[in-house]
Amino acid sequence: MNDGVRKGASQLLARAAAADVRADRRLGVAIDDVLLPDDARLDDRARAALASLLTAIVATIETALRQHAARLLVARAEPETAQLLLAPAVPVLDRLAAAGLVRDPELMRELVGRVQQDLLAEALPVVAPDDPETPSLVARLTGHVDHVVAAGAQAVLAADSRRRSSDEGNAPRTDLPAELHHRLIWRVAAALREAHEGAAGAAMPALDRALAEAAQRNLAAHDEGERVEAAAMRLAAALDPQPAERPALLVETLGDRRLALFIALLAHALGFAYEQAREIVLDPAADRLWLVLRALDLPREPIARIGLALSEGDPRRDLEAFADAIDAIAALTPEEARAALAPLKLHPDYRAALLALARSKRR
Amino acid sequence: MNAIDPGFPPVHGRVDAAGRLVSADERLAELNSRAGGVTGQPIAVPQIATIARLAQRLGILVSRGVVAADGEADVELWVRAEPDGEGVRLSITGWRPRAAWDVPREDAAFVRAAADWLWESDAALRLTFLSADAGAKNGFDPGRYLGQPLTRLFGLGEDGEGGFPMLGALALHQRFDNQPAILRPTGGALRLAATPRTDPGGVFAGFVGAAHAVQPEAPAAPDAAPSSVSLTPQFSAQLDRALRGPLGRIIANADSISAQSEGPLRQDYADYAADIASAGRHLMGLVDDLVDLQAIERDDFTAAVEPLDLADVARRAAGLLQVRATEKAVRIDRPSLGESLPATGEFRRVLQILVNLIGNAVRYSPADGMVWVRAERDGERAALIVADQGKGIAEADQARIFEKFERVDPTEPGGSGLGLYIARRLARAMHGDIALDSASGQGARFILTLPYRED
Repeated sequence: MNDGVRKGASQLLARAAAADVRADRRLGVAIDDVLLPDDARLDDRARAALASLLTAIVATIETALRQHAARLLVARAEPETAQLLLAPAVPVLDRLAAAGLVRDPELMRELVGRVQQDLLAEALPVVAPDDPETPSLVARLTGHVDHVVAAGAQAVLAADSRRRSSDEGNAPRTDLPAELHHRLIWRVAAALREAHEGAAGAAMPALDRALAEAAQRNLAAHDEGERVEAAAMRLAAALDPQPAERPALLVETLGDRRLALFIALLAHALGFAYEQAREIVLDPAADRLWLVLRALDLPREPIARIGLALSEGDPRRDLEAFADAIDAIAALTPEEARAALAPLKLHPDYRAALLALARSKRR
Repeated sequence: MNAIDPGFPPVHGRVDAAGRLVSADERLAELNSRAGGVTGQPIAVPQIATIARLAQRLGILVSRGVVAADGEADVELWVRAEPDGEGVRLSITGWRPRAAWDVPREDAAFVRAAADWLWESDAALRLTFLSADAGAKNGFDPGRYLGQPLTRLFGLGEDGEGGFPMLGALALHQRFDNQPAILRPTGGALRLAATPRTDPGGVFAGFVGAAHAVQPEAPAAPDAAPSSVSLTPQFSAQLDRALRGPLGRIIANADSISAQSEGPLRQDYADYAADIASAGRHLMGLVDDLVDLQAIERDDFTAAVEPLDLADVARRAAGLLQVRATEKAVRIDRPSLGESLPATGEFRRVLQILVNLIGNAVRYSPADGMVWVRAERDGERAALIVADQGKGIAEADQARIFEKFERVDPTEPGGSGLGLYIARRLARAMHGDIALDSASGQGARFILTLPYRED
């Protein structure tokens, strides 16, 4: 028996021994998965969308960094290193996942929120206007006499078009908040460096320099103000609706499926961050949302419309339970609702600390 | 009124606070009685009862599109239920009969699959969405046109019959495919297509549309060659995206039904599910082929040149087809384990070619037949031979089967007619080739050659 065969055989034995452990771990994961409470688990559509969004975002950054760094290297008479960078390699996402860098709560909170927001917006029933000549809300606002509002509305339409095109694979962009974009860029750059560490040899300093410059160029071009969320917040602030205008505005925003603007209007009215309002709106057990709507003194009818629209768009919501509860919701006074929401308005870091303590108690 | 079927006025009815149908136009009364109800008693069509009850409890207008059983058939209804103090007023339009097999189509996906770029409008025909790359492709700023009337971006023209397809579609809330238009900022010619978006009450709420660039017509050449199949990169990419996901789900679900993994099922239903899964796999294969076809037909297509062991690739390809062969009781005689034949080519592509060749051989083999896979050196070439005992290919057909959309036997089910064409193109891109050596009635011998590699 020659050495090669012997080596192959011992590898087989090692793999077989490890298979036992792997099978056991698989069973453990399957048990965990089955026992996960349904209300905490992402549904399959959201899981699939999240996986493809994460893949697309990392691939977008990876491609941008590879290509620009390679161009820099070619310009600096390092064509071999450039070639190395452009050759197919282990996907960066796999490397980041293996290093645990994808298990980043802030990144995941953002991506989960975005995916669920997109799925819900897509599934919301459209409401046709009573008069077919009436343009939809945001289209109407682009012709507003106040040019801040008009520009804000145009920015929302443009940002939404960019986001949806990007999600469909055309003109990809990360559309992440600056801090997360920043973190991800450097992680991808580091993973690219690591992948070519061995092969680059003496060209390593040149590779480092090119990757770092490509990353910085990408960071400089990223404008988080162009995100749908930011554009919606700007429009909400420009509109600054009076309490009496709010109910109709909120109902129409949902009827036009402008979920980002709906969230932004609530966030603006309550002084919440967008992400916080988004979490409240996307929560299928919408108790906090009813408090928010009552805190803004919305009457029973618009609350019923909002509840109906959200339930039609999200099968996880219990429309029957909502119909049972609507009278109790409407009976809450705005003062009671505001008092109940007070903890949500505490300083975000303070809230995070309180949540962390509560989590440790649960364990 | 802007209802789904402008030809028919809405049908009205009233439900009281206890859920009884207290009055109904004739059509609704008939529907209710066919469902076993009587006017004055609780409404018997469950979908309508649910909507009425919901409107009553929430105290707001509720509209939904529903499909209700009407005797033997199903009927599509747009139900609006509006509470008014003592009860709920019903207003029902639609009334389109629907056959059980008539699944609502994802019209929007069809309209958009081959588009150059996409647009959407609201009910008042203001633009609410434009593909982000539309501007870059055509040289205009899409942001300036969002929120504006669609006619500010598109100059609509008459079609061949002097009509405006978009206006007809708007009146009838139908899809349109062929609206000639000019892209105003650039003057470029376009063809617009769109499908209407309706609200749950069936009312028109806007268009979901696509734009196709139209090439200026070349002066008509009288002896123009018949148009060949042309696939733009966008078309392939969109086709891939539009089909792969849904097909994957169909196949996965059909497989799990066929395996009865969710519970027991009558055998013939399980068999239908297996048929569905296999038809789905066939379609998936076709999508793969079309995407491949688009890639290899590009002028800049190249395959990697890497060292590989042709005998090893052949063993793997044969392994991949083992299950299919066993099902057909066909034996594959593959190169033995120690054998090796060094060559150059792109591993993935060579595997793809061999899966195609061996797969064909298995498909055309008689039951209990044998497929031989042999690796041989032939001077500067490494050759891999796949031979079967099928009915062979007549000399007249031998050139034809390497053409696009041609089949060894057009009456045989399955296969897209692209496999051999793609396989040969791939082989040639790797500086190799595929040859055929066969006579009718004597089985077929396909020979893949690649450059031999000296160790």
